[in-house]
Amino acid sequence: MSGLARLKGWEGLLLALLIVVIALNVSYSPYFLGVGNIVNLFQLSIEKIIVALMMALIIINAEIDLSVASVMGLGACTMAFLFQAGAPMPAAILAGLAAGGVAGAINGFWVAYVGLPSLAVTLAGLIGFRGVARILIEDRAVGGFPRWFNDLGQQPLVGPLTLSIIVFVLMFAVVAVILHRSAFGRLVYVIGNNLQAARFSGVRVARKKMALFVASGLVAAFAGILYAARLGSVRGDTAEGFELDIITIVLLGGVSIFGGAGNIAGVGLSILLILSLRNGMGLANITGNTQTSVIGALLILSVLAPNIAQMIGNKWKGREA
Amino acid sequence: MRKYLLASAAVALLGLTGAASAEPVTATPGKDLKMVLLPKFLGIAVFDQAHTGAQEAQKELQNPSEVQFLGPTPENSVAGQIEIVTNATTQGVAAIMLSNNSGDQIAPAAKAAQEKGIKVVTWDSPIPSGEGEDVFVAQVDFTETGKVMADMALSILGEDGGEFAILSASPDAANQNSWIAAMEAALKDPKYANLKQVDLVYGNDQSEESYNQALALVDKHPGLELIMSPTTVGIAAAAKAMQDEGLCDKVKISGLGLPAEMVAYTMNGCAPEFALWSFVDLGYLSYYTAYLLATDALKAEEGAQFTAGRMGDYTITKDPTRDNGLRILMGPFSVYNKDNVEAAAK
Repeated sequence: MSGLARLKGWEGLLLALLIVVIALNVSYSPYFLGVGNIVNLFQLSIEKIIVALMMALIIINAEIDLSVASVMGLGACTMAFLFQAGAPMPAAILAGLAAGGVAGAINGFWVAYVGLPSLAVTLAGLIGFRGVARILIEDRAVGGFPRWFNDLGQQPLVGPLTLSIIVFVLMFAVVAVILHRSAFGRLVYVIGNNLQAARFSGVRVARKKMALFVASGLVAAFAGILYAARLGSVRGDTAEGFELDIITIVLLGGVSIFGGAGNIAGVGLSILLILSLRNGMGLANITGNTQTSVIGALLILSVLAPNIAQMIGNKWKGREA
Repeated sequence: MRKYLLASAAVALLGLTGAASAEPVTATPGKDLKMVLLPKFLGIAVFDQAHTGAQEAQKELQNPSEVQFLGPTPENSVAGQIEIVTNATTQGVAAIMLSNNSGDQIAPAAKAAQEKGIKVVTWDSPIPSGEGEDVFVAQVDFTETGKVMADMALSILGEDGGEFAILSASPDAANQNSWIAAMEAALKDPKYANLKQVDLVYGNDQSEESYNQALALVDKHPGLELIMSPTTVGIAAAAKAMQDEGLCDKVKISGLGLPAEMVAYTMNGCAPEFALWSFVDLGYLSYYTAYLLATDALKAEEGAQFTAGRMGDYTITKDPTRDNGLRILMGPFSVYNKDNVEAAAK
């Protein structure tokens, strides 16, 4: 399929919506196109969209990771706990990442080697990893990190771009290559499409799934640490509830919840669409439940639209025959 | 003697110069300033009352820009507050009035706002580190909370005293814990000697749990005459429990409550007296503070004095509850009884 033909489908719809939203934002707010605002637009949700890239791989593989937000909290809390206990910051950061990797490996073990559904396993992870994070930090807020750490989260690194934004761009490129240009990526689709077929054709399914969950844990912990740097402090509830936004972005991007379908371009467009919409509404002083409702309505439409389109398409075909 | 005279002369001089420079500043009405009132989250009655108070101040000061009442949803409170502060910074508003629900996590966003010349006034709940905040408008003094509760207990139980128990929110609610500690400290005064605290239980700010805890207290302590609940959820649930079980003649309820939720219980005698600060006044005072700071009439520094319309004069002091931070203490409590609760409940 040529690039142009593909654009007629889901990505085309997202692109059209994106153009409408951007046009509305530009006409409504003189601030929207400012460099500072565009940086803020990404920066305010940067940790979520970093994790969303990894989530896309997991969902295409016909699994889900509901524990990502709790692992973000776990990574940040492990780091903060060790830092407060006197560990040097770099060691605390590495330990935070390691905690994320271990959390991912626990998820991966039950899903890949025991064969439990990831919905159940990672739901348990959502509760359990958050519990550990809360035990580590209790009801406190841990801050006072070294200046360089906070600066990495809050100050531009290259031009107006922050470290987190650079990480996101690099990760987007890496995920795009893995998913669409590598053997591993093809297997992710194959497993997502038909697990049995993949097994019978000798794909080492368990290893692939394990690798994906460990990577998801690592990326989530890394994002949690970036979040800690951006806010300058960590609490037991850091990143709580983020999983819904993250999964939402991926599904709106056209990745099928049943696995096997979707691509990185769609996820990228979905990210731009949701962030522009949020930012535009924020600049128009639309907040709270109204903002949530508008984004909710968009999602309902986005889930319904393709199904309705297909139904109409099927009827049409039926008539022709 | 001479030393004493000199010293008193110096004190007098200091007093004089102090008085001269500390003339409370007043607001010049009619400036067009965009100001954001940011509650912990939307949909809570007391924050709507603060909004009403801020609107009153805005009209009084003839600021043509409406108060922008923007808040996150409860489940997105931290990230939502940061987002609203950041977007307000992009728009270059004059002032942000924040009831902080994000601890120190809001500090980088608030500092970025300050760097753009935006005044950040916190109210109801401050930024713990004081970073990114010009001044905190505190509703009441925690010590005073304890004394007000002790006084209400005394007024209900009378000189002869009696047994009372406390029904609090959760065991780790910082504000309730300090209020209870302040009450226990206040009770050491001999005039409260006949008041006997027999228990302290937690209803976790859940209506049903608080309701059951209140009934359990009555069962456990046959001599109980009063339940003090320093939380609006607990006091209403306890009053309902006593009313439902027909216990109001025996056990009274008091503490911190919302007039609108308590009016029925106060009128039927279950909760003859309770207290709260006025959130309308808190919104009004916060708006005046922010307006004065944004027009450069007032500097956020220790000792600065200003007039806040109908509420009178206030002074900025160091905040004794934080290591770093300035405070304006609003106070006092409004104590509600059957004479004034109906008007307040409207």
